[in-house]
Amino acid sequence: MNKSEKGRLKLMILRVIVYIILIFLCVLCLFFFYLMVINASRSNAQLSSGFTLIPKGHFIDNLVNAWTDASINIPRGMLNSLIIALVSAVLTTYFSALTAYGIHVYDFKGKTAVFTFIMAVMMIPAQVSALGFVQMMNKMHLNNNFLPLIVPSIAAPVVFFYMKQYMESVLPLEIIDAARVDGSGEFYTFNKIVLPIMKPAIAVQMIFSFVSSWNNYFIPALLLDKAEMKTVPIMIAQLRSADYSKFDMGKVYMFILLAILPVMIVYIILSKSIIRGVTAGSVKG
Amino acid sequence: MAEVRLVNIKKVYPHAGGTRKKKKDAPEKKNNLQITDEGVVAVQEFSLDIADKEFIVLVGPSGCGKSTTLRMVAGLEEISGGELYIDGELMNNVAPKDRDIAMVFQNYALYPHMSVFDNMSFSLRLRKKPKNEIEEKVTQAGGILDIMQYMDRRPAALSGGQRQRVAIGRAIVRAPKVMLMDEPLSNLDAKLRNEMRAEIIKLRERIDTTFIYVTHDQTEAMTLGDRIVVMKDGYIQQIGTPQEVFNHPANLFVAGFIGMPVMNFFDAELIREGDKYFVELEGMRVELSARKEARLKANDVQSQPVTLGVRPDHTELAEPGTGISAKIEVSEMMGASVHLHVSAAGRDVIIIVPTQEADEMPAMGDQINFTFSGKVAHVFSKEDERNLEL
Repeated sequence: MNKSEKGRLKLMILRVIVYIILIFLCVLCLFFFYLMVINASRSNAQLSSGFTLIPKGHFIDNLVNAWTDASINIPRGMLNSLIIALVSAVLTTYFSALTAYGIHVYDFKGKTAVFTFIMAVMMIPAQVSALGFVQMMNKMHLNNNFLPLIVPSIAAPVVFFYMKQYMESVLPLEIIDAARVDGSGEFYTFNKIVLPIMKPAIAVQMIFSFVSSWNNYFIPALLLDKAEMKTVPIMIAQLRSADYSKFDMGKVYMFILLAILPVMIVYIILSKSIIRGVTAGSVKG
Repeated sequence: MAEVRLVNIKKVYPHAGGTRKKKKDAPEKKNNLQITDEGVVAVQEFSLDIADKEFIVLVGPSGCGKSTTLRMVAGLEEISGGELYIDGELMNNVAPKDRDIAMVFQNYALYPHMSVFDNMSFSLRLRKKPKNEIEEKVTQAGGILDIMQYMDRRPAALSGGQRQRVAIGRAIVRAPKVMLMDEPLSNLDAKLRNEMRAEIIKLRERIDTTFIYVTHDQTEAMTLGDRIVVMKDGYIQQIGTPQEVFNHPANLFVAGFIGMPVMNFFDAELIREGDKYFVELEGMRVELSARKEARLKANDVQSQPVTLGVRPDHTELAEPGTGISAKIEVSEMMGASVHLHVSAAGRDVIIIVPTQEADEMPAMGDQINFTFSGKVAHVFSKEDERNLEL
């Protein structure tokens, strides 16, 4: 065997090993997802009888049962979650980009101090300020209201930091100067020139904010106690503590499946706009 | 279509906070600038009257304040002191969009997400011009710049030269009062740069407007400008037509900066004998031309040690035993001429010899003699580097 053949053999063995590892990791990730879909198609009796990988025929039954459940209003919960998650995702990304733009483009006294302050806020976990926040909202009679769940998400230091870093790499200040000379006002420049250039970063952060807002349980659980205001994570928690005699596992799996569906849809829609190289050609690199 | 007056313009970057400019030009590049209590002084005592439809070129080495001055005219940089008038109106605190100026940037600064047409029509759309007027103006500008076939493309799909044309097109569609250009050709390769330079000269014929053009390239300055403003360390060194600046450099810096290859400098003696002036170096004595003598006499210049400047193009080979002797270190064949890098009188000197005059190519290590005429000798004061004639 000569050197070249030896090299090829080595490369092939290496590749096979790599693929095996990758396939294993893939299965590990997707298996439970698959299992959930399977379980959502099984009846409560089938589910308690054991474990299977073959789909059963109760998918529609479970869907109807879950959707029309009398004690837990799933469509309402999904709508609530959707409103909160969508609005806060839009607000978070827009205002974080706006803040980042301010810090990146303008020179003003105390700019460094402002930046440091925002970064310092990033270090404080939400749980620390939660108690005070919930108390304040109760005092302001803002419990059972979506505003405390939407408005504070505007101040998102992590998103701001991401936007700022992205701007530094793709947004040459000459473009802004050019827009100013062309006669564009500051907000117009931001909305019509900067935002389109920032599209990939905004898409990424929108996915993240949407998912984290959709999955948020902690603060909503403290603030929302009216049935028609509850969000999906609270309802899932409620299901777990539901009455055992009326417990339908098929319905629970269906509910969980429904809960992750919007997240996937949002991802599919937004991932399209994560295209790299949008600024290519604007300025000489 | 406007006069521009700059009166004692000054720009100071405050020490703290004003990070943007400092980031761009590293501090070590700026250490030739004055640092005061207020901050770093980038431009000072800048006064200039620009006539209607004049083409002014600001030229100087990097960090000399030329771009800052241009940005102050554009309104992109605050003016720290002095007054700026466009068409007699004080513009110091007027927003860029209300100054009726257009600007072309070194790195094009096109809007990447818009087509060429949208890029060019952006300013017109902002001004809410009717659709057919926008189309007409963009088509006209596109025709002038020969970019009609790219109207639907995004900037990413264009070459550097095409992008710069679009950037110029974006500026001219509006028929601005003043056209500002910040090193528009610096990013292009040599061939394209020459082409675009010619295009700008043609463009100037076609659009009647005042131009302020910033460059560090003295060829661009010489070929484009009606008048050239040579700057260094934030100060104006000389304002004049290309001929004036070339033939009568105000000081040693301008003499060294304008002209390619760089002017040769020698330590020499200026000798006055009655109404006659001579320069003496290495035992050679050259009488200055009558015009130069008259000017020196008018300034009542006395005998003194001077820095003598002679352009490489103005040196001539001399018979052995006459002139200044020199040893060839490098000989560069440029085609029509030969550039000889020699060491003479303790300095590195460049001599340009037309190829047709050199019977045989002088070789490295050869001893030659050269001389120059009194018409082309520039004498600069040793004390303040100023041209003694002016």
